[in-house]
Amino acid sequence: MMIELCDSSAIGEGEILRVDVDDFPAIAVARHEGALYVFPDRCPHADESLAEGWLEDGRVVCGVHFAEFELGTGAVHNPPVGCPNLSFFKCEDRDGKVFATLAGGPVNV
Amino acid sequence: MLDLLNIAKPFADMDTPVDAETERAVCRWLYAEARFLDAERYQDWLEGFIDPEIHYWMPDMETRRRDDPRGTFSYGEAAYFDDNLPELTIRVKRYNEPSAWADNPATRHAHLISNIEVNATDDPSLLAVCSAFTNVRNRNEADQDIIHGRREDVLRKVEGGFRLLRRRVFIVQNVLLSKNLNTFF
Amino acid sequence: MCEGGCKGAAKGRPDMKPVYPRAASYPQYAGLVDRKNAQVDRQVFVSDAVYQAELQQIFARAWLFLAHESQIPNPGDFIRTSMGEDDVIVVRQRDKSVKAFLNSCPHRGNRVCMVDAGTKARGFICNYHGWSFGIDGALRGTDGKVYEKDQSFEKAQIGLTPVAQIDSYKGLIFATFDPDAPSLAEYLGPFTWYMDIMLDNDPEGTEFVGGAIKSEIDCNWKFPAENFVGDILHAFWTHQSGAQAILGGGVDLGSRYDELAFQASVYGHGIETNLDKVGNTRTLGYPELVDYVFDLSEKAKDRLGELRARAIGAVSSCTVFPNFSFLPGQNTFRVWHPRGPGKIELVVWTLVNKSAPEHIKEQYRKGVMMTFSPGGVFEMDDGENWEYSTRVNQGFVTRQQPLHYALGLESADLERDLPGHVHKGSLNDANQRLFYTRWAEFMEYDNWTDLQSGETAPPQKKAVEAAE
Repeated sequence: MMIELCDSSAIGEGEILRVDVDDFPAIAVARHEGALYVFPDRCPHADESLAEGWLEDGRVVCGVHFAEFELGTGAVHNPPVGCPNLSFFKCEDRDGKVFATLAGGPVNV
Repeated sequence: MLDLLNIAKPFADMDTPVDAETERAVCRWLYAEARFLDAERYQDWLEGFIDPEIHYWMPDMETRRRDDPRGTFSYGEAAYFDDNLPELTIRVKRYNEPSAWADNPATRHAHLISNIEVNATDDPSLLAVCSAFTNVRNRNEADQDIIHGRREDVLRKVEGGFRLLRRRVFIVQNVLLSKNLNTFF
Repeated sequence: MCEGGCKGAAKGRPDMKPVYPRAASYPQYAGLVDRKNAQVDRQVFVSDAVYQAELQQIFARAWLFLAHESQIPNPGDFIRTSMGEDDVIVVRQRDKSVKAFLNSCPHRGNRVCMVDAGTKARGFICNYHGWSFGIDGALRGTDGKVYEKDQSFEKAQIGLTPVAQIDSYKGLIFATFDPDAPSLAEYLGPFTWYMDIMLDNDPEGTEFVGGAIKSEIDCNWKFPAENFVGDILHAFWTHQSGAQAILGGGVDLGSRYDELAFQASVYGHGIETNLDKVGNTRTLGYPELVDYVFDLSEKAKDRLGELRARAIGAVSSCTVFPNFSFLPGQNTFRVWHPRGPGKIELVVWTLVNKSAPEHIKEQYRKGVMMTFSPGGVFEMDDGENWEYSTRVNQGFVTRQQPLHYALGLESADLERDLPGHVHKGSLNDANQRLFYTRWAEFMEYDNWTDLQSGETAPPQKKAVEAAE
């Protein structure tokens, strides 16, 4: 089941927004070249908020150790030792609202 | 211009070694040059070893991250030497003044040259020569400066020998651990 | 450690606020400068106790030169340098301001930046345990998941220690570790009028070209600083060989010397100069540079007035107290970082006008290399003088012997209407006496009120005139 996260107008191009949803850990929503991406707001390496990082060349950059995750595939570049890839939730823009499937955890899309 | 005369560029693969006789001649030339520099025969060095079109460059070595595109050195930035013949001549003129106090009393020099590789190039009159050096200076009682590094030379074949056309000198120090450079490499 | 009663830290959480050291008062060291007899006790060049006091009284309080704005144009651009012996990172921020921090992780103290410089840094990560700091110096996070769950850890309280104050003057960035220090403008005082000869002779301002050359000299830091503050005398003897090599003649102080040359000093900062237009520039060896400076001198008259326009390329030298020096005309800018009483690390840059044509900038770069870099024909002969002026004082008896700083005791120029303490002629120890007087003020005074109103403070010209 998809859950409404926020207005899609709240996320500008090149931005990452942290969204708090009841019963789930914090979620991050990003927009790159128009497309939306939804992923856990938690670096798979060190529990840090990815919303406090930034987007660069189609990658989410963690602001702590500068690991870079490809939007879409989640493939990690420049990782600290032991840092896995990032996973994403299925999401869509419905009438100006961002919806995502959070139950069951992220799957790569 | 040939790539190997571009001072900003390193030699390509050193994979065209010259014959033993040429290599022997180049080694003799390098050792003779070192002997002239040990003896502070700078004017003779200019006249006997240096090509009129010399470009003699020794960049400042910076400490940079491996992913920094600038690298350890960069042509056009700070350098210890970036000289043509008139500029080398000015340096030699200072040595020849009796009031060159950093050289009076005389400095004792030893130029040790090793790791010599001699390669043919696309131009039959030019040779690409790599070597390593230890440059030792000792002054007064116990002032000693030792500098290690590498050189990449282009030698021009001339009647009876060679002339130094281009020299890139890369020392291993970042902060120069000497008060001056009253020497050539 | 706090046991719960103190403010600003929860129970068990260490207080990680920056600590800026307090100054003390060392009248016994101030007394090593004998102003009455124009003598300096050689202890100031070799004593480790005096040196430690210098780090506390001078280098932890004075405004020190860090960088030129042009070295770090974009957010994340940084250079590493020193303030005294303290390692410092200077970083351009996203809002274009500049911040500077101690290069030391608050966890175990390791350096977080190992390189000389870089561009577009995302932050600085300590190699030891992975503590990560933003370009604003704030702690972004640590390695793994340990600290975030530890109740002793309060991320917002921890960061790289910032300098207490940072500011720039016409492209030159300075900082101080003293929160109580007066503004940079007040610290420099009217000496900026002289600094503008180099920094403001052209509407587009200045930049550094090339990188920096760093070298070590086994001398006390004050010898080169006093040399540049007012010792043109040494040029005749020390640099005769360099002048012969480049100019084909001995050192020449320039035309109309007796009439025009002077020394000026404000708060220990000092300049000695003739007004011969191109005496220093000529020594770089490129005739085109001399033409450029003649032309610049004409154009700069509107901005700087006749006198300062004549000083742009003239025979001159300058030190901003304590350890930042430059040569107008030769355009070499340098810092003499102290590394113990008997060693310095010298860092040298080349300054040019932004508007200068590329080939002129290139000639300055090469000209400075040929003259005032470690292989340069002038600098070559300076180091050994300063090394032995320092080293001989290891001799117990030698260091009891007085040093003579008395040239030009009666040379004060009360008529010339220029900022600061002005003395006639540049062959004079006046600026050097005032440099050491300033040094003694820093040793003696634990507060800036006294520091800014001592003997080296700029004289009130009007009061002097009224008294006469």
